[in-house]
Amino acid sequence: MQEFKSLKDIPEQDYFTGGSSTCAGCGPSLGLKLALKVLGPETIIINSAGCMTLLPLYPNTPLKASWIHNAIENAASTAAGARHGLDMLGDKDMNVVVYAGDGATYDIGFASLSAAAAKNERIIYICYNNQSYGNTGFQWSTATPYGSETKTTPRGKENPTGTTVVNKDMLKIMGAHRVYAATASLAYPVDFLNKLGRAKERDGFSYIELLGACTAGWNYDPRLTIKISKLAVRCGMWPLYEIEHGMLNLNKDFSELKPVDEFLNMQGRYRALPPNGVERLQGLINEHWAELKEYNGQRYV
Amino acid sequence: MKQTLVTGNEAAAWGARLVRAKYIPNFPITPQTECIETLARWSADGELPGTYFDRMESEHSVMSAAVGAAAVGTRVFTATSSQGLLLMHEVLYIAAGMRLPIVMANISRGLSAPVTLWSDHNDFLDQRDSGWLMFHAENNQEVLDMVLQAYRITEDPRVLLPAMVNMDGYVLSFTDEPINIPSPGQVEEFLPGYDPAHTIAHGRPITVGPPVLDEYSIFKAQNHVASRNALAVIEEVQDDFERIFGRRYHLVDGFMLEDAELVLVTQGSMSTTAKAAILEMRDEGIKVGLLRLRVIRPWPNEAVAGALKDAKAIAVIDRNVAPGKGGIMFPEIIETLYNLDRRPLVSGFVVGLGGKPQTESKVKEITHKLMDDLAAGRPRMEWNDLEET
Repeated sequence: MQEFKSLKDIPEQDYFTGGSSTCAGCGPSLGLKLALKVLGPETIIINSAGCMTLLPLYPNTPLKASWIHNAIENAASTAAGARHGLDMLGDKDMNVVVYAGDGATYDIGFASLSAAAAKNERIIYICYNNQSYGNTGFQWSTATPYGSETKTTPRGKENPTGTTVVNKDMLKIMGAHRVYAATASLAYPVDFLNKLGRAKERDGFSYIELLGACTAGWNYDPRLTIKISKLAVRCGMWPLYEIEHGMLNLNKDFSELKPVDEFLNMQGRYRALPPNGVERLQGLINEHWAELKEYNGQRYV
Repeated sequence: MKQTLVTGNEAAAWGARLVRAKYIPNFPITPQTECIETLARWSADGELPGTYFDRMESEHSVMSAAVGAAAVGTRVFTATSSQGLLLMHEVLYIAAGMRLPIVMANISRGLSAPVTLWSDHNDFLDQRDSGWLMFHAENNQEVLDMVLQAYRITEDPRVLLPAMVNMDGYVLSFTDEPINIPSPGQVEEFLPGYDPAHTIAHGRPITVGPPVLDEYSIFKAQNHVASRNALAVIEEVQDDFERIFGRRYHLVDGFMLEDAELVLVTQGSMSTTAKAAILEMRDEGIKVGLLRLRVIRPWPNEAVAGALKDAKAIAVIDRNVAPGKGGIMFPEIIETLYNLDRRPLVSGFVVGLGGKPQTESKVKEITHKLMDDLAAGRPRMEWNDLEET
């Protein structure tokens, strides 16, 4: 497929139209809307229980593509079954695409994801990462960043930090499955959709993780979804990179990262994170960024 | 007719092969393993053309993949046991709710803890309310026949529900029995290729498994109606089945019931032992018969009530237990008989947990206890499994 050069190249045709019940400014909804521009209507979206599960609500749907919602922990296995089913029926052209949250991906559905990736199933797996269990009201998952407050990691006298666990390095884990793995951002749609386009052409498993800014959980003004998404990339919270055949490719390089403060200050979930917490988080970001710079263009996993 | 020696596991595998299942997701567990190993061998040898044999990382993923493949219109087979069936539990309800005609063999085994590898029926009966059709075979011929029939029944537009074919672990799964394996042509005549009316296709996107609001109970009611519809379909398919294969089955399996005053109600392989004991007791002049439950869901209440209504006393022999209650089928039988004009006495016996053998002498002992109950006019609920341990 032809690579998009700029926003102007992205098709105007939408397969995700009005009438969805997700929040104003919802990052994951926008992500799916963009993705369907590349995937088209001949796509089965396999959804795991989460915010996006509420897109179709019987008897309505905002989607002009097919949709299967099974449970929370089994989207990758459901997708594998759909893919092989279609293949055995002689239908090789239908896209099978998982659209699952980070809780379903990093945590409860990890076994099913890992197996599907190890078997290199011809599936595109998009994780919309809102860094929490979003649909149940913003609870901690292993994708939640250090220092973020969630409903199950509230700040208090005993624990002023909120989330003390450092989130999993999921890209590295998926890269180690010898599949295509990439991060993506709503603020860089050309990069996102080109990655998706390449994944569509691949004869195997692709893992794309999209930072899904969550206005309700992160607690920011819904107008700022794209701005926050951009800042996440600029401050190194959400670097854009891809791993293919174990090789690292940093897609957006910066001579200097912005300090994390501006990103944190825009969101209620980091309000009252003590200075030593901010310092620790900045340290983790710097460490990760240095690692990416060091291995850029080289074997990473 | 030519007979072949096969185990219960192999009989189920033959069923999957003969129905030309296109997708077989699988995960090993004792005592089911030989079933999928047989299919793996055939697949490797090129004897399953048009079938994708998919090794999954858990039973939960097996049933999830089965749902994915069935939702796009593929004929799916799988098999499991015990803990594996329980791990699938969540997705079993989803498969039924989505009205997907998946067929699965369950090779029953007791549940942990403590660990046992041997058979009882708790794993299978734990899925009783999942919406699946639930069949229970007595011998290896019936295992194969049930798999063939299960596809005809589940794929009927009046039904469209998944079906589980249960066999007892070890007793059937690992025992060679001579059975008749039909030709592919015969099976194709009985069961043509699967051509679903509702599935995902190009140019016709659909949504499977969305949330609903007030309509929830309508969907559950449809699930119930479809399951009840299966009662008629099960009987309808017997004519074709008998014409092609020369065998016929009923909703319930009655043995020497015509003049029976005492009736033993059984399930699965212990029924064969009980029938042998009944023949001996008949020689002693005891008027005893047997009713084997082979269709558990949908529940064939009329067939069960019809078979039991003339008995004086009934012993429900449960190879399962609901702790704090008793045998699981015991109250189902009582409920089925409750509205009869004249109700027989019904006693319950929990037996054979964790594979404890059900011998003919045990069956006779239960029959004599039932005679005592009848004479005393007092039914019992007894755990008949504890001595000699």
